[in-house]
Amino acid sequence: MTELWEGLVTAVKLIISLDPEVMEIAGRSLAISATSSTIAALICLPLGAVIHSNKFPGKRTLINIVQTLFSLPTVAVGLFVFVLFSRAGPIGGLDIMFTPVAMVIGQVILISPIMLGLTISALSGVDKAIADTAISLGASGLQTAVITLREARFAVLAGLIMGFGRAISEVGLSLMVGGNIAGFTRTITTAISLETSKGDLELALALGIILIVIALVINLVLNRVQQR
Amino acid sequence: MKRKIIVAILAGLVIASLLAGFVGCGQQRLKVATTTSLYDTGLWDYLEPIFEEEYGVELDILYAGTGIALEYGMRGDVDVIAVHSKAREEQFVAEGYGVERVPFAYNYFLIVGPEGDPAGIKDMSPEDAFRTLYEAASSSFISRGDDSGTHGKEKAIWASAGYDYEAVRTAGQWYVEAGRGMGPTLLMASEMQGYTLTDIGTFLSYKSELELVPLVEEGAILLNVYSVIAISPEKHPGTNIEMANNLIAFLTSPQIQELIGNYGVEQYGMPLFTPCAGAEPQS
Amino acid sequence: MTMALIETVNIGQKYAGQYILKDVNLNINRGEVFALIGPTGAGKTTLLRLLDLLEVPASGSVYFDGMDVTDNKSLRLQARRRMSFVLQKPVVFNMSVYNNVACGLRWRREKEATIRQRVSRALELADMAEYINRNARTLSGGETQRVAIARALAVAPEVLFLDEPTANLDPISTSKIEEVLAHIIGDQKTTVVMATHNMSQGQRLADRIGVIMNGEILQTGSPGDIFSTPQKKEVAEFVGVDNILSGVIVNRDNELVTIDIGGNLIQAISDYPIGEEVHALIRPEDITLAPRKDASSARNTFEGRIARIFPVGALVRVEVACGFPLLAVVTKRSAEDLSLAVNKRVYATFKATAVHIIKRWN
Repeated sequence: MTELWEGLVTAVKLIISLDPEVMEIAGRSLAISATSSTIAALICLPLGAVIHSNKFPGKRTLINIVQTLFSLPTVAVGLFVFVLFSRAGPIGGLDIMFTPVAMVIGQVILISPIMLGLTISALSGVDKAIADTAISLGASGLQTAVITLREARFAVLAGLIMGFGRAISEVGLSLMVGGNIAGFTRTITTAISLETSKGDLELALALGIILIVIALVINLVLNRVQQR
Repeated sequence: MKRKIIVAILAGLVIASLLAGFVGCGQQRLKVATTTSLYDTGLWDYLEPIFEEEYGVELDILYAGTGIALEYGMRGDVDVIAVHSKAREEQFVAEGYGVERVPFAYNYFLIVGPEGDPAGIKDMSPEDAFRTLYEAASSSFISRGDDSGTHGKEKAIWASAGYDYEAVRTAGQWYVEAGRGMGPTLLMASEMQGYTLTDIGTFLSYKSELELVPLVEEGAILLNVYSVIAISPEKHPGTNIEMANNLIAFLTSPQIQELIGNYGVEQYGMPLFTPCAGAEPQS
Repeated sequence: MTMALIETVNIGQKYAGQYILKDVNLNINRGEVFALIGPTGAGKTTLLRLLDLLEVPASGSVYFDGMDVTDNKSLRLQARRRMSFVLQKPVVFNMSVYNNVACGLRWRREKEATIRQRVSRALELADMAEYINRNARTLSGGETQRVAIARALAVAPEVLFLDEPTANLDPISTSKIEEVLAHIIGDQKTTVVMATHNMSQGQRLADRIGVIMNGEILQTGSPGDIFSTPQKKEVAEFVGVDNILSGVIVNRDNELVTIDIGGNLIQAISDYPIGEEVHALIRPEDITLAPRKDASSARNTFEGRIARIFPVGALVRVEVACGFPLLAVVTKRSAEDLSLAVNKRVYATFKATAVHIIKRWN
């Protein structure tokens, strides 16, 4: 108990004093997850709109598959990205193994199903008459998609935030394809995993607190958004 | 209007953090997969800035057991590996993955256990100690279980003691596979008050956090040689062979050899490694 | 001859394999107010959606201003930008009234100054100017309807489609909307196509009416034509011709024919030959009731007993059994004067010219 308490005190001190190592790791975590979330959003918003507004055979099945992939195991994605981008793999020549780029690619794969699925379900929550109204007022296909997304904006945003939350909190993938290299690919979660195994609880706790605060902020924003 | 300002600030923050996150992506980098026992002693943390300063390169150190380090090497995902498992290293070089095996330091493995030594193995030969643990089957033995160099050494001792390793693995609950690095395995053995095989370097650097003492320290089989191997550019042309050779030259240079030989004296009262500058040490 | 602004050639539509509209040939002329009337589920909305190019027909072709716009995407968008549509249950976007009305103009890439001017004009027309900054989602049903109308007007459409513009509104909102519509129709050179199940609304607002039932257009014509000379029994029933009698022409003298209605003989004006099976349509308001046989010039007088009496607003509908059922309408006042009562003996009289004869289809 005293160990935990002392650890907590030191952890809080590390945070308050803006310890460079803690800040650097937290900043990198945010940067990598924000990048993957932005890229995934840029893919999933248009794709979701296209899937939502078109009829095609197998649409129901496709949506079911996407929803199943919500709980894609991070290590499975990690393995996939590793095998793909390892120099001995099919596209190894890109030389991105153990770099933030590999982590971003993995996170995009990991969170895209969530963002896509939630975007589609947010769009299907919009009254069909909205699209009809837009079309009847002379909106093109793109303009119709934009106004429909706009009508679903709170639900869509909730989906994006969920995706970001998953990206920043996952560890298996970052460890496998990032390699937890100090000053380069070490994120909050991989650092916690390493520091805990090394017995350096203070740093792990400080990072853990930051991660919880981030999760808390995400949840608060999500709640605010969903109440709208 | 207010909303637009907030959006602009958020966008700015994201862009700034992206830039911050990816600074260094374009720099020259050297990727080293290192055995956990070297990493956990803090030797790499000590040498990294010196090397980076001297060669103007970012040294990326991947924390991996010997098995994984060799795997990364075979796949060409790293430029150089630092490991400790002679037979497998020689095979690695023979198969053409590595250029040359360059030993640069050594120390010894220890069998450590709780101070009370319930199995009574103190000062036995390593083989006898293992036999005793096996027969008693009462005290836990924590194996790395991760295909690392230390794990390989453990298997070698079992074989030398006359056991089939598969039989040992499945002998009973007393035999525990940690599947983790050296440091974590030591912490686990301490928690469980069991025995384990460790390199002396990691043991000393973790000693303050452990309730374990060295019990077996003598025996030819306990020799632990660390070597570096550059990944063959013939197998993987994309690797940074030039900088890998620089690292090998650096580690075997008289100046760095001296630093390695003195590493730990200040903190633990004794050196963790004996430098051996490219020559195979004889036990 | 002027070319129709919108023309459909044999268009049909089916949902889930079921035809709900078949072989519709319809011309909408530039500048006219056209009302589609028909019962609920007749296919009015579907036809409007096909005309406004919201849906692609399952068969047939649609022409807009001479262009074939059946399935060419970019032509359809071009044509659609010259029209607008007020849905039966209009929805507003979750934004201010101003932005709602501005949407259509923004999609057409109009200049901000033009948009501001057009939006305020449209809102004034719809009598919604004071709501300009309100969030549109907070409006009542009637207000929402008016925003939807303003939104459709703001784009200055050549054709305005209105689907049951007053179906879900209370009487006050209804009269307000009708006022707005009458104003638009009178003021602008817009072609208006509206669907309604309210005949009197169609009659009041339209230049031309199309009666649609079970996915088919049964008759088009001026409101006068539709109401006085329905060409089919279903149309007659729908437009309120309550007396529809089946019979056979048994005699003719020039234009004057005699029809045998189950043993009773009715005289009427018609071109049909002897032996033709026909329906005789008589509007209830064309029938007069009297306590005794009078010596008028009317050809048809039948004696009967009053079977039922039921008041409808200021009028009283009287069902007379005179060998066949005959429905008449009198004012409350004359019902009292005649002291009409169930079982009372009366004479029902109507002129030969009040009988409209149509050929029987089956």
